Amino acid sequence: MSRSTPTTAGANSVESLEALAFELRSKLLELCGTYEGAVHIGGDLSVADILVALYHYGLNVDPADIASPERDRFILSKGHAAVCMYIAMAMRGFFSYDDIVDTYGQLDSAYGMHPCKVQLPGVECSTGSLGHGLPLAVGMALSARHRGEAHRVFTLMGDGETGEGSVWEAVMAARSNELGNMVAIIDRNRQLMTSFAEERVVFEPYPDKWRAFGWNVVEVDGHDMTELVTAIDELPEPSSRIPTVIIAETVKGKGVDFMERNLAWHAGSLGAEDLEKARASLSSGHQGETA
Amino acid sequence: MPVTFTFGEMLSARSVIGTTLAELGESHDNLWVLTPDIGATLVEFREKYPERFVDVGLAEQVCVGVAAGLAYDGNIPVVSGMLPFLSMRALEQIRTDVCYPNLPVKIIGTHGGLVGNGGSTHYAVEDLALMCSLTNMTVTSIGDPMMVGEILRQSMSMSGPLYIRLAVGKSDKVIYEAGQHDVEIGKGIVARDGDDVTLFTHGTTVSQALDVADELAADGKSVRVVDLFTLKPIDEELIVRCVDETGGRVVVLEDHVAYGGLASRVADVVADRGLKLTAFERLGIPQVYAGFGDDEELRDKHGYGHKATVEAIRRVLGTG
Repeated sequence: MSRSTPTTAGANSVESLEALAFELRSKLLELCGTYEGAVHIGGDLSVADILVALYHYGLNVDPADIASPERDRFILSKGHAAVCMYIAMAMRGFFSYDDIVDTYGQLDSAYGMHPCKVQLPGVECSTGSLGHGLPLAVGMALSARHRGEAHRVFTLMGDGETGEGSVWEAVMAARSNELGNMVAIIDRNRQLMTSFAEERVVFEPYPDKWRAFGWNVVEVDGHDMTELVTAIDELPEPSSRIPTVIIAETVKGKGVDFMERNLAWHAGSLGAEDLEKARASLSSGHQGETA
Repeated sequence: MPVTFTFGEMLSARSVIGTTLAELGESHDNLWVLTPDIGATLVEFREKYPERFVDVGLAEQVCVGVAAGLAYDGNIPVVSGMLPFLSMRALEQIRTDVCYPNLPVKIIGTHGGLVGNGGSTHYAVEDLALMCSLTNMTVTSIGDPMMVGEILRQSMSMSGPLYIRLAVGKSDKVIYEAGQHDVEIGKGIVARDGDDVTLFTHGTTVSQALDVADELAADGKSVRVVDLFTLKPIDEELIVRCVDETGGRVVVLEDHVAYGGLASRVADVVADRGLKLTAFERLGIPQVYAGFGDDEELRDKHGYGHKATVEAIRRVLGTG
């Protein structure tokens, strides 16, 4: 099986991907400052680099042909990071960023707190209830395998989400059905909504849990674009028989100093003053990185 | 075919399901069959189309989730299993992964009602209430094993989800002669005509209702038996007509909790349409965990067996 030629996004360099991730975070802050309700900004910022690496590098998708059978499927199982996905997709040409900012969360908007495929074509699945994405991915991967299609099915989950038993049912089903066309990505930000994960649930030894279920485990720094791109480049062929999990070590609130690893910033909104502080923090960090 | 537990007593319904799925698998190359370790009815399909048969083992949630994933990709998945577990363990997957995006997943299963003698863990007695509450879901409960095949065939062209409830009855009666009634999802069947009272029912109690009508006919009572095998969407016009034509006298009989199932569906129509009733009785499972016993014993014990149904109709007719 050979992969069809990726669309132009695959040509992005690490530097340009990093610039896109900065743009994505800046736009997230803007929305967090304009929308009156709470935005899941902590978990959005922890997956921003991952979503850029997917929508602007790894995923073979085409905004002009959202129903193409050959497209890679992406399931945002941690549906509360929807707005981060919407913006990453808008930056790729799927949607209008202005529409997102202007209508997010409002009556009759397609851009809601959790993604709805019916209201927003281009999104693969309606998600939001945690632990539902990976079973859906197993179904899509089985379908692809049966039809001899060479695309992959990616699922992004939070580490906290993997406390849901249905995730492990799907982990077993994926391995049992030898679905090497499945890629799970874990946003390992080590925080639940109300606590630091390990204080409530013993996740460690976390990668070993996946290994014990027979998956191919790849561990990366989820904010290091080079590592993310390498992990994507080195994925086994979709025709292989072992599913892969990329465990991406991340920081909830990444890029904004007062949000990082701060339980108060699972979700929230930014007043004018905080928005300026957040922007300043994001910029100084970005300049530090690029210096 | 090895037979374990009580499934062997459902042989005719099982063979209808098996044969029908195998037949549909041939005409629909996007038909998949999934099960959480309840595969006995599915051997024929599994052998003919092993690549479209998925047994996930004991894992109802992923079973329904996988079905939804397949349906997202243009396939027609049929999930077959035991309803107490599918309807409750996987309820959220059915609601959120199947009904929310309105996917053509069929859920078909056994052990609807106090059947099979497994005890309350193994009786699906709240399932119709749960399923009827789900937006986009079509809900059926089938008594005649031969009807199952027809419903499955019709379901191939449905764009949304479908729930098919079966019993595991020892009296696995073929209720209708072939061609006797037009079977159409959404339309009730007047299984026996009558003028004095309408007995609405579904599923395994249809044959009991017909026996009751026979017994009362000997007394000169004319009982209309209506098989409302589609609970959602309910056949409102048939209910309106029956209430009118049988003097506003209504009895509802079902192997389901007495509040939340068909009786409640009928009562909703009566209220919404402002129908005038002379008498109304509901016969079904009371608010108890029913215990063990065979199907007939349990219905008798819990007040909706044959004798209790006869008595209820006599009361409604003012002759009790």
